[in-house]
Amino acid sequence: MSVASRAIRGLTQRTLLPLWIALATMLACGHAGAQSAALDLAHFLPAASRAQAASAGESPAAGFANARVAVNPAAASATPVGERMCIACHQLESDHFTHTFHALGLHAASKTDASIPVCETCHGAGSLHAQDPTSKGLIIGFTKTSGTPIAVQTATCLTCHEGGPRDHWSGSVHQRNQLSCSDCHNPMAKFSGEGLLARASINDTCAQCHRDVLVQFHRRSHMPLPEGQMSCVDCHNPHGSITSPLLKTNTVNETCYQCHAEKRGPFLFEHAPVRENCLNCHTPHGSNQHALLVTPLPFLCQQCHSSLRHPNDLQTPQSLITGAHPDERLIGRACITCHANIHGSNAPSGPRFHE
Amino acid sequence: MNNSLLACTFTLAGLGLIAWPGARADVETFMDLRNIAAVQGDAAAGKANSATCAACHMQDGISVVPLFPNLAGQHAEYMYWRMREIQQEARADSPMTALLANLDDTQLRNFSAWYASLPPAQHAEPARGAASHASEGARIWSEGDATRGIPPCQGCHGRKAEGHPLAAEVIRWRLVPILRGQAAAYVTQRLNAYRDGAHTVTSSARMMNGAAANLDDASIEALAKWIETGESK
Amino acid sequence: MRRQSGHRLLLAPLGGLLLLAGSIAHADSGVGVDMWRGNVLDPRGGADSRPLDPHGTSWLSPLQRRSPSGNLYLCPAASPAQTELGDWLFSGSLDIGFVGVGGDEDNALWNRYADWEDGFILGLLQLEFLRPRDGSYASLRASRISDDDAYFDAMFGRAGSYKVHAFLRELPNALSDSVRSIWNGVGSNHLTLVDSLQVGASTSEQVGAASQAAIERQVSVNRSKQGLGFSMYLDPRWSAFADVSHEQRKGARPFGGAMFFNFPFPDNGGILETLRPVDDSTVNLNTGLRFAGSQWRFDFAYSASFYRDRYTRFDYEMPFALSPVIPGAVSAPLQRGQFATEPDNDHHNIKAAITRKLGNAGEFSLTASLGRMSQDDSLIAPIDCQGVFGIGLGGSLEPGPQNPFLFDCSQWNSSAALPRTRADMRIDTSLLDGRIVLHPLESLSVRAGVRFNREDYRGNWLAFNPLNGAYGYVSENGAQGSVVPGEVGFWYPGAGASNLTRIRNLPLDLQTTEANLGADWRISEGNSIGADLVFNRFEPGNREREQVDFRRISLNWTNRALDWLTLRARLSHLRQSGDRYNYDPYEFTFSSSLPGFVEPEGGVPAHTVDALRKFDLSSRDEDKFSLIATVALGDDMTLGASLNGMRNDYDATLGRQRYDTHGGTVQWDWQPNPRFMASAYYGRDFSTLELANVNDQALGPDPSLGGPTYPLDAVWSDRDRQRNAYAGASFKASLKRLTWDGSWTWINARGSNRYAFASPSALAYFNDSTSVPGNAFPDTHYRVNAITLGLRIPLGGRVSMRVFDTWARGRFEDWHYAGMEQTRVIEHRVYTDGGPRGYRNNLLGLLLQVRL
Repeated sequence: MSVASRAIRGLTQRTLLPLWIALATMLACGHAGAQSAALDLAHFLPAASRAQAASAGESPAAGFANARVAVNPAAASATPVGERMCIACHQLESDHFTHTFHALGLHAASKTDASIPVCETCHGAGSLHAQDPTSKGLIIGFTKTSGTPIAVQTATCLTCHEGGPRDHWSGSVHQRNQLSCSDCHNPMAKFSGEGLLARASINDTCAQCHRDVLVQFHRRSHMPLPEGQMSCVDCHNPHGSITSPLLKTNTVNETCYQCHAEKRGPFLFEHAPVRENCLNCHTPHGSNQHALLVTPLPFLCQQCHSSLRHPNDLQTPQSLITGAHPDERLIGRACITCHANIHGSNAPSGPRFHE
Repeated sequence: MNNSLLACTFTLAGLGLIAWPGARADVETFMDLRNIAAVQGDAAAGKANSATCAACHMQDGISVVPLFPNLAGQHAEYMYWRMREIQQEARADSPMTALLANLDDTQLRNFSAWYASLPPAQHAEPARGAASHASEGARIWSEGDATRGIPPCQGCHGRKAEGHPLAAEVIRWRLVPILRGQAAAYVTQRLNAYRDGAHTVTSSARMMNGAAANLDDASIEALAKWIETGESK
Repeated sequence: MRRQSGHRLLLAPLGGLLLLAGSIAHADSGVGVDMWRGNVLDPRGGADSRPLDPHGTSWLSPLQRRSPSGNLYLCPAASPAQTELGDWLFSGSLDIGFVGVGGDEDNALWNRYADWEDGFILGLLQLEFLRPRDGSYASLRASRISDDDAYFDAMFGRAGSYKVHAFLRELPNALSDSVRSIWNGVGSNHLTLVDSLQVGASTSEQVGAASQAAIERQVSVNRSKQGLGFSMYLDPRWSAFADVSHEQRKGARPFGGAMFFNFPFPDNGGILETLRPVDDSTVNLNTGLRFAGSQWRFDFAYSASFYRDRYTRFDYEMPFALSPVIPGAVSAPLQRGQFATEPDNDHHNIKAAITRKLGNAGEFSLTASLGRMSQDDSLIAPIDCQGVFGIGLGGSLEPGPQNPFLFDCSQWNSSAALPRTRADMRIDTSLLDGRIVLHPLESLSVRAGVRFNREDYRGNWLAFNPLNGAYGYVSENGAQGSVVPGEVGFWYPGAGASNLTRIRNLPLDLQTTEANLGADWRISEGNSIGADLVFNRFEPGNREREQVDFRRISLNWTNRALDWLTLRARLSHLRQSGDRYNYDPYEFTFSSSLPGFVEPEGGVPAHTVDALRKFDLSSRDEDKFSLIATVALGDDMTLGASLNGMRNDYDATLGRQRYDTHGGTVQWDWQPNPRFMASAYYGRDFSTLELANVNDQALGPDPSLGGPTYPLDAVWSDRDRQRNAYAGASFKASLKRLTWDGSWTWINARGSNRYAFASPSALAYFNDSTSVPGNAFPDTHYRVNAITLGLRIPLGGRVSMRVFDTWARGRFEDWHYAGMEQTRVIEHRVYTDGGPRGYRNNLLGLLLQVRL
């Protein structure tokens, strides 16, 4: 097939066809209903006059309607100064901030309701800091040397972001270890595609501390995190959850069933360790064995099975194809070559997972 | 790899090579001053060669012409990099361009060291605190103006316009000039230039562009007056 | 591509809903999967494509600041160039180009989660529309490496108001590239032998030749997923979300097939590694309503999942003939074996959580959840055969009282042989979790919680054949009963009254109750310590123990007192114990519990050895420690280090006895200026797992270790050790107009397995006691070395070109697959999957990036 026809085939593949449709739709929607207005960068800055704000004629988005100046216990007598004064000194920060999601929402909201602050929603009233910027703590900062206690930092973010995935932040392992929201997130610039993370991806963010877990994904069998198809947060909720390993569902197995629903069953004939916990046999982050198993077959099964006849014999390399007496209990998939439906069988003839 | 892939590779590589020379546009030479080293110089040598400078800036570094700035007691780092900025910008309408054009780096450092060693202009203690709200300049200096987005100058230039409070410990804060007693006309001219975005070639200038962006003429006049006289009306 | 019709009914109304504005789902860090879309070409999903802002973060200071834990923040990207389109601002880029792969292109390890194809690729298409006036936005990101490796991600919404999100994702998963199949029909549910083989009458040599003649091919399972979601603020305190996703898996995977043993009976039995089809579809739905007020928070969620499999069963043709162990007898020919595929299942779950804030930043929250997993799929027949099956005494295949081990297929080969035709199995789950956090002092926080989780297994199956009154099932597709008389798998009065076989399913109730108590004391802003106590009671149904408890105490310490160091340490000790271990709670599931069961001569054989402890219920001691440190080196470098260890001591004479792991990593980041960044890491980890077991010596009733069935001299032990080393590095450098980037990944994993035995009776084969030097298996190895180097050249204006090369080498050795290069057929054992293989590949890519 020629390159050109391959290119055309590539561009019209089923996965891209919706792309073109969506693109056309969005462009159409973008033009439809748009008010023509002179646009320049000044639009990102608060209205030069309140008249401009009034002309917008909309109410602020619900998510920003309650935004107020953050409370900074270390600067109780500070008064709000407004975004323009902040930007006067912090233009470069503002340039980067402008392209983030918070800026999009806060700027739009503050145009319709002047009482909605922008910078000071997160950083607190800025008058004392503007007068004495070298004194730490007069403004809520989220960096290591900012002088703002971690508890104040997280409480500030949580004034808007409480609940939902962060419902169990208080008492969670990350909170107990004195992590701040700004250890993983940095909403001052767009570093990641989604999530306003401090790094370019979820996995990179977690790797700042948990590199020892992420390297395990390079082992022989692993789920596709290094390949960018999955992230730590598919299974874990770093903000806290009701389970000890910070799972997003009620149990380990329910987490696995989200992608491996075929294992949910329940099966006519169960394999007890499977029903109880997938991690009895599998290790989720990476394994040197086939299929994320904890230890090689047949030894994996011989941890629990010693019934009469064939499971409990000690096999040696002489039972391999290259050995003196090849034995099906060791070669290839070993036990599960015959007991193939090992996660449970729905066959009436499947009590031993042969069918 | 198949032949068509190789053909495409070479075509694109060829396009790249053709486009390359054109791709090298002139990049503005930007001076990033956020990580400067301390400026050392030979003050005596600077003094020895300062006859030309003294014509306008006087022997003691305190000029009498309002448009010529006082140099006495100013931070060496500020002066050195300001002179470098003037050389870089090479603006035709600035008298300093021609005067600095032929100076080399050592001479700039020496001049900076010399003028930094001179005692600064003495002026009355500028009024400060809540009592000085009577003066618009003082008010802008200490609190700024939130409604217009003007930051309090004291944040970087010091409560009494004595320079950045951490200038002694952190070198880059010596790029913040000591403004106390500086000539009002000169300050006015400089603030106008920053507000109008005339200087963009150093990181300090970019900083001041933002700080001065929201100043109007009246505020500039008030600030300049306060800076020079410390007067509270 | 045809899909299971079961989902058409489900998808039609969903499709309609999707078109409405308010019917979308949005996975977030609290609910759902699909949190990330990227691929091997760009795992960061476009974040790397923008050049960095040469001016850095702030005019006020050089370099980057550090996060509270001490990690440097990255240098931000330069602001994107935006074009005005009416009210909207648009920015976008398109990366298209070509790749070519040379080397072991079809290797399954290389292609595990990627599907590189020579030719055109869409590297990345990114579009972003913003409307500053009201905060509306729309964005799109797509990439396509090939048909099976592509994604498309789009969202639009209004900041603070609502968000609609849709995605399509094709994820390949290559399982093996060394498959030699003696069956046709791979990927379908009906495997037939290749033309050169006769069903039930082929010799091992013939099957071996067919295997050799088979073309080696790749098998994979590809996942194709579509998702749609929305989330919205109903008002400043209430928000709602809904997500629906539909994932289809299609492909084949190496599987198995049981036609009885070969090892005790030369040229008999059948161990057939068939290939099973994977053709299913899962629809997941997550919806919720949330309230976050000043005192109360409320979270109500409903989630559902529907799994539909195209096939209920799959079958495979049996190449070999079987022969009975009785001289003069003959086995009835067996044509096919079968498997039941995973049943269609449904899952529903509702969850309600309510939280009340208490004074002093305290909180009390209660979560309750009810769920149901159910399946009612149709059941396949106990055997797939025609005519008769079993053993024909004296060479006769005539059924009748003279042939007590020969059975009529028509009594077993349909669902009429089952007590019911559908499975009707269900598990009801319930969860209650309550927790409270209090701050009696500003620096002291105390927390407590209780948790109750129960899974009620509702489903009973008694294997009774109404056609002939037998109990049980047909073992191994009829093969076992075709070789050994009396082992056909079902119990029946008369000649089969002593047959010991499974006749019931095993209902597995699970119940966990947990209580925990903890406290944290912030000694100073830089130092805090904490302690936790957990008491957990696990009560499984129908298992060896009725109650297993563990108590865990853990201590943790966070130190941020020094400005260049952040240290987090944790130490924990766990002790698990339980009630009396009953080595055989399963008697009620066997035919020995039937009233007409006749105890065989010599007694009912022991179920297992009484000294074996199944490790999930074992008594054990576990100690763990972990240390995470972040060190600030100067202003532009960070060093991170972690150390961890776990020691598990199981109180078991037989079974798992020990499972220890320990490891550490070191990582380094350097960002001296916006034009250069580099990072590197190195890690090691180790694990040791020890187990012991005993080889039975007699088919006796005595389960005790040290008795005649399980004598002490037949005890053996095994130790598996894994030793892994990892390293990686990456850099990005902008010199003048060119940007270089590179990355390196390296892993060296080694597994070694060594065994010991009390005497040669422990071995499967007595003579192995002297014939294996070192009493160890050959080490397994997995080594990968991969380097990528790329160069981005601006071509002026909006266009730049990126050329990159990836060189990767993988080496793999695993003794399970030893000898598979030469032959896959040994007597009656047929292996299809030759195992993973090493590779040496080079990938050259050329991408043109156009700023739109």
